[in-house]
Parts: sequence; structure tokens; C-alpha cells
Amino acid sequence: MIAIRADRSRLWTVLGLLVLLHFAVRPRLGYPAIAPDFLLLALMLYAIRSRPGAAAVAGFLVGLVGDAVTPARVGAGALAHTLVGYLAAWGRAVFFPDNLFVNGLVIALGVWVRNAVQLLASGPAPGGLRLGLLVYAPLQALTTALMAALVLVVFQRWLDIRLEA
Amino acid sequence: MPPQSDRALLRRDNVLFSLCVILSAAMLLRPELGERVTGAIRATVLRPFLQIQEWSEAGRTSRASFDRLRGERDSAAYAAQFLPSLRAENQRLRALLGLGARVRVPYVAAEVLHQSTPTDGRTLLLSAGARAGVQPFDPVVGAEGLVGVVRVVEAERAIAWTWTHPEFRASAYTVPGGVFGVVGPALQITGSELLLQLRGVAIRDSVPNGTLVVTSGLGGVYPQGIPIGTVIGPGQEETGWERVYVLRPAASPEEASQVLILRAPAERVPEGAFGPDSLP
Repeated sequence: MIAIRADRSRLWTVLGLLVLLHFAVRPRLGYPAIAPDFLLLALMLYAIRSRPGAAAVAGFLVGLVGDAVTPARVGAGALAHTLVGYLAAWGRAVFFPDNLFVNGLVIALGVWVRNAVQLLASGPAPGGLRLGLLVYAPLQALTTALMAALVLVVFQRWLDIRLEA
Repeated sequence: MPPQSDRALLRRDNVLFSLCVILSAAMLLRPELGERVTGAIRATVLRPFLQIQEWSEAGRTSRASFDRLRGERDSAAYAAQFLPSLRAENQRLRALLGLGARVRVPYVAAEVLHQSTPTDGRTLLLSAGARAGVQPFDPVVGAEGLVGVVRVVEAERAIAWTWTHPEFRASAYTVPGGVFGVVGPALQITGSELLLQLRGVAIRDSVPNGTLVVTSGLGGVYPQGIPIGTVIGPGQEETGWERVYVLRPAASPEEASQVLILRAPAERVPEGAFGPDSLP
């Protein structure tokens, strides 16, 4: 079982680092549609340590940032991230990840749900939903989950997470 | 039953969640409201981060595309060997027809700042803005063909709608054949390939597969002759008064890393381009 006693200042440092990685490193990680989403990863790490209301607000803000840089349908990103943040905060009681694999699985699910809600809210587009939901979203979920595992292992002490076998 | 304090926290959580959902829905229903908010975010909070991304993109493209660019440069240099003779021939023919010099289209080169959201590609954030002379409705082209059109211009950046945006349209014609129509994205729910449609083709006209479709210049937004795509088959006709053709696009916005923004989109006819009318 994971004991979560995260020191807030250390948590904010890790979140800040993820935001920097999102803008400085992600562009170098290949095809943008499947590169890990560090902002969503930061949101998930914050959400599973916060109350649902705060997680929803954080999700809304992260979604607004996403809408600001890809304004195909402003509001769709905010809505998707709000839902993911809120559900992740509630879901910790259900999922409560007790190992690295489950932790990654929850984050991967968050990526897929975010993509699904955002695509549905953005309306039809060439390529349809199949390409986005069955090809790009799972691949991005996988890369983000792998990055999450790496972050959790590297910052295990900073995040005060105890990962038991 | 949860204690009073827990219930208050629960209520606060639900209120905050509902508020966020309502604000998101308001932006979805009133895009002009959302665009004002996101514009302000880009100009303030996001500005340093976008600058970092711009440096990162520039570093990546300069490394990754070096070999490709060298190949393209060699091809361009080879092709350019024949340009002087072509130019001279063109001038000679124009002089014979009484035409003035061909209008040149200036351009601004820009990096594409791709994002990780699933709708990236419908719009592109470009690293050149008003300071570089970019204006709304300037066409955006890649090495392969038309990518989109600039819609929002800020001081240092611009946002372009690509051909995958549901509201994208361009007047076009086929080469060869000269069959005119309007190109837009092939919107679908269950598809798995990014395709375009050539609509509004007269029933009497038919276009064989493999025909190139280029911009017509009508409408004053896109210059004439930019490749848009290639016909790969007939599309589904719903109205019965037109033919619809499915196109494989020439340029992929999701893969574009560098683009050109054409600064004088409309082929305006300069003074003296045409000689005096020879008719009495």
C-alpha cells in the first residue's frame, strides 16, 4: 500500500519541473500526438493528493492552458481536464494504487479519458474518432504512463511515496 | 452519514466542480469569450513557456531535419540551374502577350509549436506574428502544399486553422482538367484517415483518380496553384446536384515542423501589369 504524505513544497517543485519538461523536452520526444503529456501527468499527481474540488479547479486551469495553445474548440480542453482531475481525486479511494503498475494504469486511463472527452466535445473532424481514440490516445497513454513511472521512481522520496511490492 | 465538516467539504467540492464545468460549457457555447481568455493567457502566463518551446523546437528541427534539408537544398539547387532560362522565356512570352511582370509573393518562415492535446493539428501555433508582418487570412504552406490559413495574430505568434479544421474551405481546381470546386475536410465519425473532399463539382464533370487539385485563387485568400491534394476516388453524394471527390492531402499539418506564411495572399494585379486593351 502506498503511504502518501507528500510535502507540499516538494510536490510543487516536481509539478513545476514537469511543466518545464512539457515545454522544453516534449517537443524533442517525437511525434506530438503520442509524446507523453507532462501537464496531464502533473495534474494527475496533484489530483490524487488533493480534494476533488481543488483537483477540478487545477484541471480547469490546465485545460485552459491547453485550449490557449490549441484553440480548435476553446472550452473542450478545460471541460476534459476538469472531469479528469475531479474523477482522479475521487478515484483514488477506488483505485488507490498499491504498486507502480496500477499507478501507471490510472494515469494512462486519465490520458485516454481526457482525449476521448476532448475529441467528443470538439466535434467531428477528418480521421474521425477511431484514429484518435484507438490509435493515438492509447499510445499517448502508454508513453505518459511510462514517464509517470519514471517520475515516481526518481522522485519517490520527494513525493514521499512508499511503493511496496 | 458523514460529519458536518465533511459534508461542507463535499459541498464545496461539488460547487467548485460544477463551476468549472459551467465555465467550460460557456466557453464552448460562446467561442468569442473563450478566445479572449485564452488570448490573454498566451500573452501573459504562457509567454515564457512558449518561448522555451520555440527554442526547443528550433533545436530539434535543426538537428533532426539537417540531412533532409541538405537533400532538399541539393534538389532545389539542381532545379534552380534551369531557372534563368525559364525566367527569360517567361518574360519573353509575357512581353509578347503584353503582360507585366509576374506578381511575387513574399513570405515569412515560422516554426510550428506542436502541442500534446488530441486536437493539435486542427490549429497550429506558429512562431511568427504581427512583428514579422503576419496578418489574418495569410495562407500557410509547407514544402508539400497547402497547410492552412492564419486566423489569429499576436505580436510574436500566430494561430493558423489547418485544412483539418471543420470550418476550413478553399476554392480549387484540378490539374489537368480545370474542374472547379470547393475543398474542405472530409468530416467523419468512424474514419481512420485524414482526408479532404472536393465538393461542388458539376455533374457533367468527372475527375479521374490521381488528378492533382490546386488552389484556384478565387476568393482572394489563397494564391493560385498551391497543391492541396490528389483525387483518390468519388465521395458520397447526398444532395444529387453535385459530384464529390475524396482527396489525399498533399501536406500533413500534424507532421509539419516548419511552414511558410505567405504575406501577400491575393494575386493583386499591379498597375501596368496588363497592356492597354487592344480592342476598339
